[in-house]
Amino acid sequence: MRISYFIVLVTLCFSCSNEEKNMRFSSWQSSQTEEKIVRETLESFKKVYPEVAFDYQPIPGNYTEKIQLMLGTGKAPDLFWLKGSTSPAYMSFNVLYPLDSLISATPEFDVDDFFPLFKDAFKYNDTYYGFGKDFNAYVLFYNTEMFEEAGLTSPPTNWEELVTYATKLTKDTNGDGKTNQFGFVVEPTIDMLMPFAYQNGGELISDDNEIKIGEPAFIEAFDFYINLYRTGIATIPSNQGAGWNGDVFGRKQAAMIISGAWLIPYLKESFPDVKYKVAELPMGKYKATLAFSTAYVIPKTTKHLDDTWKMFSYLAGKKGMKEWTSSGIALPTRKSVALENGFYQDSIFSVFMKSVVYAKLYKIDLKERWFDESEAAMQAVFYKGKEPEEVLKKLAKKLEKYKLN
Amino acid sequence: MKFSSSKKEQRFWAYLFLGFPLLLMSVFVFFPIAFAFVVSFYDWNLLIPDKPFVGLGNYFELFKDEVFVKAVKNTIVYTMGVVPVQTMLSLFLAFIMNQKIVGIAFFRTAFYIPAVTSSVVTSIIFVWIYSKPGLLNYILDTVGIDSNIDWLTNPSTVLPAIMVLNIWTTSGYFMVSFLAGLQSIPTTLYEAAKIDGANQWRLFKDITVPMVRPVTYFVVVMSLIGCFQVFDQIFIMSSGGPDNSSTTMSYYVYQNSFKYFRFGLGAASAVILALLIFTVTAIQKKYLPPDYY
Repeated sequence: MRISYFIVLVTLCFSCSNEEKNMRFSSWQSSQTEEKIVRETLESFKKVYPEVAFDYQPIPGNYTEKIQLMLGTGKAPDLFWLKGSTSPAYMSFNVLYPLDSLISATPEFDVDDFFPLFKDAFKYNDTYYGFGKDFNAYVLFYNTEMFEEAGLTSPPTNWEELVTYATKLTKDTNGDGKTNQFGFVVEPTIDMLMPFAYQNGGELISDDNEIKIGEPAFIEAFDFYINLYRTGIATIPSNQGAGWNGDVFGRKQAAMIISGAWLIPYLKESFPDVKYKVAELPMGKYKATLAFSTAYVIPKTTKHLDDTWKMFSYLAGKKGMKEWTSSGIALPTRKSVALENGFYQDSIFSVFMKSVVYAKLYKIDLKERWFDESEAAMQAVFYKGKEPEEVLKKLAKKLEKYKLN
Repeated sequence: MKFSSSKKEQRFWAYLFLGFPLLLMSVFVFFPIAFAFVVSFYDWNLLIPDKPFVGLGNYFELFKDEVFVKAVKNTIVYTMGVVPVQTMLSLFLAFIMNQKIVGIAFFRTAFYIPAVTSSVVTSIIFVWIYSKPGLLNYILDTVGIDSNIDWLTNPSTVLPAIMVLNIWTTSGYFMVSFLAGLQSIPTTLYEAAKIDGANQWRLFKDITVPMVRPVTYFVVVMSLIGCFQVFDQIFIMSSGGPDNSSTTMSYYVYQNSFKYFRFGLGAASAVILALLIFTVTAIQKKYLPPDYY
């Protein structure tokens, strides 16, 4: 009897101090297609580096929370994805492994091959902490059937055209007195507004850490943006009972929307009959759009640095990125890969390649809470009828508190 | 039969059986509660090894934070709205369910189903019902009320909308508690009252309500605590929006702890939430004790 208790206790203790033998790689899972391509890419990695023993441990839900807890308790995977928008916080907390010495020891990991926008995207205090696995950018999707019907032959190229086209495309198609086809869709979220602000010469925070969201350039852009909605030529997804603007576009309730490449597989699967084309965002005073990137990063606590770097430099290297992006699930952050994949010739992907030249990265150097504060401000304008000027000036003051260091 | 075990032996086994659950609860309940209290005095970021002591700093910061003040207000409005309606409704339902009506088993089941359905599922269903092209607006339209609002993004309707959902889901659960209470009331009381000429309303008011008082006490305490802690419906249906009109205290705790890396501030607001619940329950115990009659 006593002995069996003892055995139970001993096994419990051993399972507690179970040291991880293999290097571990974690990612989130947003779709089955994505997971399949991740696994395929890892298979190819295994062929190139058969000596590296690794475990792929995807995290199906609450990714950010889980990674945070794993990092906090020293159990983080040796390699994982980090969203660009949350990366400044993580880099400032000093929990990631600095990559500089590894990069200089690996000349074939050609850093200059990355697009200028992404090369230094995950650099903090002059140290590299990660590299973008791929990117996405906001472009304009437009429904070609609706355009033909309205006698329009090309997408809008500037703000004035966006307004006139959207007005032409806004209709009551079934004659019940209510609009059921809108020219455009706006969303009450800050990242949809930001391209317009950049196009107007505004920005959220400047490079020397000044909050600029309360300046006239940003306010004007928000005025333009909200007026699209208030004049009735644009709708918001929740008004159509939709979760996001891709749904509205797919159900043919809107002629134009701003979205990233993630819309393409969604339309293919859920709304295959929608005929659309992709164009660069209409420009304001300047050409601008917003680009999103997710990085591969290594935690400081890693015990398998050699193996991890092998996987890192393969996946973020030319070969791994080529395999990962060749299906078009995401766009490469490396110039050479974009060329090899033929993305400059493709009618859809070439638009993204053109946009990357003038895009700004969605990575705000503020503490995490800036996002919810900004969302609340957007909601105050959209749902409470407040004016952008008042709301943004108040927001600018609040954001002062959330500066990093 | 005579028990052969000695007192001492009995005590050993009693503590042994108590020991395991107590051990589990110490690890997963008592220790975390005490520890949260400690954390609330620190600037506690999981990812930074250096966790400076800030004394009451977190508490001062909380009361300067507009969002927290809004969250406290919303939580109180929510609780004050839900608890009385829910208690009365479930008592009323229980009273009806205690009558001899054809198909009573069906009705009992129907009213209880929301209580055993996952709150995530009911929340998602109500997101659709409350949406602009949703069922609620459709029904209002058919009865001639021109309603074209999105209930969950309208700052003045979002909280009441979620309150209605909560009343609907938990009334069935408390109905069962009341039903048990009702069935333990001796029928002789009702018979005597009827002979004295009391009508249905007097029976309800003067016999049922006072006799189920211990159950009422239980129901009010439980629903107070449940309402103060409301989280899942907010998380799924509105994420605290629009413009924090539906942010509640537990949602604020979650946001700060898991999204803003501020476990200290989160713990401090959890402590305040606990104090609030403790105070309200204490007041209730003092002024509305369970054994009044």
